[in-house]
Amino acid sequence: MAFALGTGLAFAIIYVLVAKTIRERTDAWLSGEAEVLAQVSANTPKDHLYNRIVGEVAELATRELPDERNAQGQRLNSVFFLAEHLDGTESPLWVGPGSDDVFVKAIQGASVGRTPRSIGVEGWPTSFRVVARPVGMSGQLIYLGLSDRGDRYVLHILTRRFLLLWGATALMGFLISYMSARRTLLRVDNITEAVARIGSEDLSGRLPESASRDEISRLAETFNLMLDRIQSSVNQLRSVTDAVAHDLRSPVTSIRGTLESALSNGPNDNWRDSVGEAIEHLDRLLNVLNTTLDLAEAEAGALHLDRRPIDLTALVEQFINLYQPAMHDRHHEFVADIDPHVVIDADWSLLSRMVSNLFENELTHLPPNCRVHIRLRLQNESAELVIDDTGPGFPPEITGRAFERFVKGMKSPGHGLGLAFVDAVAKAHGGVVKISDRAGGGAVITVSLPASVLQPA
Amino acid sequence: MRLLIVEDDVAIQSFVKRALSEAGYQVDTARDAETGELKASEGVHDAMIIDLGLPDMDGLNLIAKCRAQGISAPVLILSARRSVDERVKGLEQGGDDYLTKPFAIAELLARLRNLLRRSSAPHSDPVRLEAADLQIDLVRHEARRGDHLLQLTAQEFSLLEYLCRNAGRVVTRSMILDHVWSMRIDPGTNVVDVHIYRLRIKVDADGRTPLIHTIRGAGYVLKNG
Repeated sequence: MAFALGTGLAFAIIYVLVAKTIRERTDAWLSGEAEVLAQVSANTPKDHLYNRIVGEVAELATRELPDERNAQGQRLNSVFFLAEHLDGTESPLWVGPGSDDVFVKAIQGASVGRTPRSIGVEGWPTSFRVVARPVGMSGQLIYLGLSDRGDRYVLHILTRRFLLLWGATALMGFLISYMSARRTLLRVDNITEAVARIGSEDLSGRLPESASRDEISRLAETFNLMLDRIQSSVNQLRSVTDAVAHDLRSPVTSIRGTLESALSNGPNDNWRDSVGEAIEHLDRLLNVLNTTLDLAEAEAGALHLDRRPIDLTALVEQFINLYQPAMHDRHHEFVADIDPHVVIDADWSLLSRMVSNLFENELTHLPPNCRVHIRLRLQNESAELVIDDTGPGFPPEITGRAFERFVKGMKSPGHGLGLAFVDAVAKAHGGVVKISDRAGGGAVITVSLPASVLQPA
Repeated sequence: MRLLIVEDDVAIQSFVKRALSEAGYQVDTARDAETGELKASEGVHDAMIIDLGLPDMDGLNLIAKCRAQGISAPVLILSARRSVDERVKGLEQGGDDYLTKPFAIAELLARLRNLLRRSSAPHSDPVRLEAADLQIDLVRHEARRGDHLLQLTAQEFSLLEYLCRNAGRVVTRSMILDHVWSMRIDPGTNVVDVHIYRLRIKVDADGRTPLIHTIRGAGYVLKNG
């Protein structure tokens, strides 16, 4: 539509300019000729030959223009010449088509001057462009007129051609935009169909991506990325439900079993042991549940952070105290390198659980006789806690996925929620967790958390 | 001592009431906030145990209303929620301590004792603790069994002190973690057990009567024999 309007406007402007130019040309010719005739008139003595001489010159002038005719056979370039006699006794000198009275009437009706102007003449369908010139100092006026029909004819043809061109251009423009819109819509249709096909059963399907970088391509790309994420979530969900099912069913089975045997054993001392054991299993179950819930909350971004200044140094040192004997029992060398006064704004409860997870990880995953090294320091506005060990390191099957829920090496015990929880807590505080292999063997876990601004000097 | 329990779960209310009665308390109960408020307004209770998940009102609101009515008895909050917000809000709103479900009876009793002790007349800190032939001098930081001076680390001393203060009563692992290490977390492995074992080696060694006992499914208790 815009295209059609634009081209239409362009044609209109061209038309106006052409019309103006034509008009100017005509007027120039008129004025020029009129001037010549005025001169002739002035210089010709007013005797009986005057009419003949001026008449012939005028006649020549009128024949200057080509004798073109239109489709109806009418002359396009009719010219007339009128010279009135001052004394009004004789009829004016007239060279032109038909009789002079209608022209005289027309001229008298309009006031024609040096500037050419169009006047209507009775009996003539088109107007005449007329100019007047004084003859010398006598006060006599001569009139020269040219039918507008010629000009009109040219303009008429021009208009027709322009309209045709414009119509063709507009049509082409319309066709082009229609075709390209159709093409785009077709591509969108394809995508819609493809997406409908990729249902919940077959999340592996992806939309074809073309090399072009236009919006449709980007749309396909975005869809594919979204499908990747959805598929990954669904996979995770499947593995979560599998793992949760396994992790919950086993302890529940044990609990049920021990209580059942306590029931059947009757009142002897063993039942206390059985019931106690059942309670211990329940506690472990609760642990899994709690961590799963925490993790779910963290991943949903719903972790409530109650941020207060926390002395991380004191917290880590307490944990080291707590875990020291257990580490020692496993014959580990437990080394701590804790900077004093590392204070950060954090949620105490989440942070404790996070550190607990890290230490638990070391206890559960390391074979005996390793070296576990804990380092805490303040580094560029963040607290950095690094735990490295000389254990077997991260099994190759989990690197890159270690933070996903329930990912753990095949040989390791535990429910695989630990590192995922650490990651979630770190992220919730605006920090990061990085894992890497230690040069010389073993694993390194680095937790960075943004520090508080209330750092004691 | 008279207590008020406001808890809508019948099973929980029942076993808590039984445990508290067995521990020597007089117990009133309510199953919803409205009844709870009514009973609390009598002002005859030394402490209250209020569940947050009541059917007709949030437990925290109930506490606020009681406080507004001038009821200053300490409150132990029971909550199934673990988010910090709730707990802090609870404490700030005049509840004095909290327990997340599920909890051990031993811990409920211990925290209740703490609350009641806090609100009663200030007691003098004992300088010595005794249980059987165990003597703990809190001023000199020394522990003895009979004449034998025990060589304990600072942590071991704190642990023994806590067990001794609760002599005869079961203390759970989470209670130990809270008092000795100031942590309210649930460790998966047996970190506390390891500390107890080490302590036991030093305290119950050399053929002496064992004092530190393990109660399966509950925790530990310090008592004679």
